[in-house]
Amino acid sequence: MDTISLPATERSPRIDFDFGRGHLALRGESYPEDAAAFYGPLLQALRGYLAEAATDPIVFEVGLAYFNSSSAKALMNLFMPLEDAAAEGRPVTIRWFYADGDETIAEAGEDFAADFSHARFEMVEEFA
Amino acid sequence: MIPEGMPSAEAAPVRRGGSLRGAGPRRSSDFLEAAGFTDMPLAESAAGPTMRPGSLRGSARGRDLDSLAHTLFLRIYPVIAVVVLVTQIGIAWVNYSDQIRLYTERAKLLAALTASAVARPDWSTRPEIYRHQVQALTLDPAFRAVVLRNAAGAVVMSLGDMPRGRSWDMVVEQADLSLPSETKPVGHLTLAISAEALRGNAEKQAILALVTSLILMLAFVLTLHANVRAHVLAPLKRLLLAMREVEHKNWVTVESGARFRASNEIDVISQAFNRMVEGLRTGDEAKRLLQELETAHAKLAEANGLVMESIGYARRIQSSVLPDRAALVSTGLEVGVLWEPLHVVGGDYFWLENIDGLGIIVVADCTGHGVPGAFLTLIVATALDRILHERRLRDPVEVLRALDSMVRVQLRQDGRGAVSDDGLDCGICIWDRQTATLRFAGAGLSLTSVTDGTVTRIRGAKNGLGYPRRAGEIFAVDEIVVQTSAETTFYLMTDGITDQMGGERRRLLGHRGVADILMARSHDGLGDQVAALQQALADYRGSEARRDDMTLVAFRPIPQSLPA
Repeated sequence: MDTISLPATERSPRIDFDFGRGHLALRGESYPEDAAAFYGPLLQALRGYLAEAATDPIVFEVGLAYFNSSSAKALMNLFMPLEDAAAEGRPVTIRWFYADGDETIAEAGEDFAADFSHARFEMVEEFA
Repeated sequence: MIPEGMPSAEAAPVRRGGSLRGAGPRRSSDFLEAAGFTDMPLAESAAGPTMRPGSLRGSARGRDLDSLAHTLFLRIYPVIAVVVLVTQIGIAWVNYSDQIRLYTERAKLLAALTASAVARPDWSTRPEIYRHQVQALTLDPAFRAVVLRNAAGAVVMSLGDMPRGRSWDMVVEQADLSLPSETKPVGHLTLAISAEALRGNAEKQAILALVTSLILMLAFVLTLHANVRAHVLAPLKRLLLAMREVEHKNWVTVESGARFRASNEIDVISQAFNRMVEGLRTGDEAKRLLQELETAHAKLAEANGLVMESIGYARRIQSSVLPDRAALVSTGLEVGVLWEPLHVVGGDYFWLENIDGLGIIVVADCTGHGVPGAFLTLIVATALDRILHERRLRDPVEVLRALDSMVRVQLRQDGRGAVSDDGLDCGICIWDRQTATLRFAGAGLSLTSVTDGTVTRIRGAKNGLGYPRRAGEIFAVDEIVVQTSAETTFYLMTDGITDQMGGERRRLLGHRGVADILMARSHDGLGDQVAALQQALADYRGSEARRDDMTLVAFRPIPQSLPA
């Protein structure tokens, strides 16, 4: 359970969850037919990892060019346990990547950022 | 002449399955039959996909099968036989002639010696002088007869029986009795010796030659037979059987006996055959796979057809739940609608209704699209109907709050361990013609307005309706009241409109992009605006696929309907 690596598909992002290093990343586009089925195992793994009660810092990088509302919900579900862990004192950083000028994704990031008060939420504009 | 198991041409009437003339091309099985391979047991080849060398030898042994071998033997054998025989006879004849010559010379010598011993002037009157000399001739085992005659031809002395005429058994030689003083011979000596031993020798030699040639031929025939079988017939047989298998699409290859020899034509042919079989097998495999694929494709097409038919029916139901586009004309609003599910049916829904003179406009974007989304729209439609008609709520925030709780009750999201993690984004506008005001409340959906080249976006609450909540979490949103004018057009749209992937930089179009398109057309009728927007979105996407259902409701007060 140390790492989860999934290649990107047309409808789902590339997943690189390296729990050993506390580095989680999610890149691409996300609009799977069944978002719960895609994100469910990731959420399980994340919860299992956080239950180990270590204090290593966690960095979660999200770079999505498009995601549908089910995926937004699933992302929220991934963010909540991270925020809880941060509330318990674990250093958590969320990095939200958006392409320069992509207001839609930037705005979505800002919306997510509003839900975090303990974890650090960084907006990172990427220039092609 | 012909060894056992090798019948002569008469003894083996091979049925010619198809002559070269008039019978058309031979199939390989005909050839097999003609070549005598018809009794080959198939079980041998069924044992494995490869014909092992020698696997057929047992069944082929001792059978008068090999017409190829026979042809070879019948063509070569007589030539060899005649050549060997003629050679042997020639040798025998030369020997015989030599022997005869030697015998003749011996007879001549003996006759001459004896004659010179006998010769004297008075030899015919005194036979006692040379009697012993002449009798000594009888000591020669080949001696048969000797006759001494005087000059007149009268017999003076005779020993043995002088044959009459010529005889093949005898060598007869005559010598003159000559005296130096006399010019004419004084008598003649005729000596006959037997050549019987010689003839016996010759006969023996002839028989020997015959036997030798027979043995030679037998050895030749056996060697040729064995070699042709081992090096020609057996590999050919394997090849032919493999061909017959291949004819029935059983892709067997042949192995060359020991190691491959490039100088061996049959090995080369076998290898070429194997390559051909490999090629055929690959081709056949591809053909079979293609066929399977076609079958699978046909099944899929059929299944897809059924599903699409079913979804088409579902679309009729969903469309019938959607309101009349002209429902708000009586409230003094011009309305344009774009409703385009991604997959025939979808999770986007809108509501237009004139209730007690109030224009109710609702746009909802349920999670998911296609059939699951459509299910949710029916829940929303039912809930809205109850909220607006039974509970008669007219306050937009109250409507959203009621919708939230009803959806969550319907989807049983209140208790712990809810199965459904679904909900909807929703925006509601209530238009009052009397006061020319618009009351808006949104959950995950915003209200966009365009007035004289400026775009305003009023965002609703961040979260949508439905979805299981954390304990203590309640839906909270404020109502926003907007004063309207004939110059302002309002838009409620789902994220499927703004989330268009495309453009040169492959970005989402976003609210700003959509607003730019709408602004450029702000003076057009709303129907034209919506059509233009739909085209502009398609142009922006280019080759990119649409990602979601799209719904946009555009509305603006008709100038005459506004209070003066």
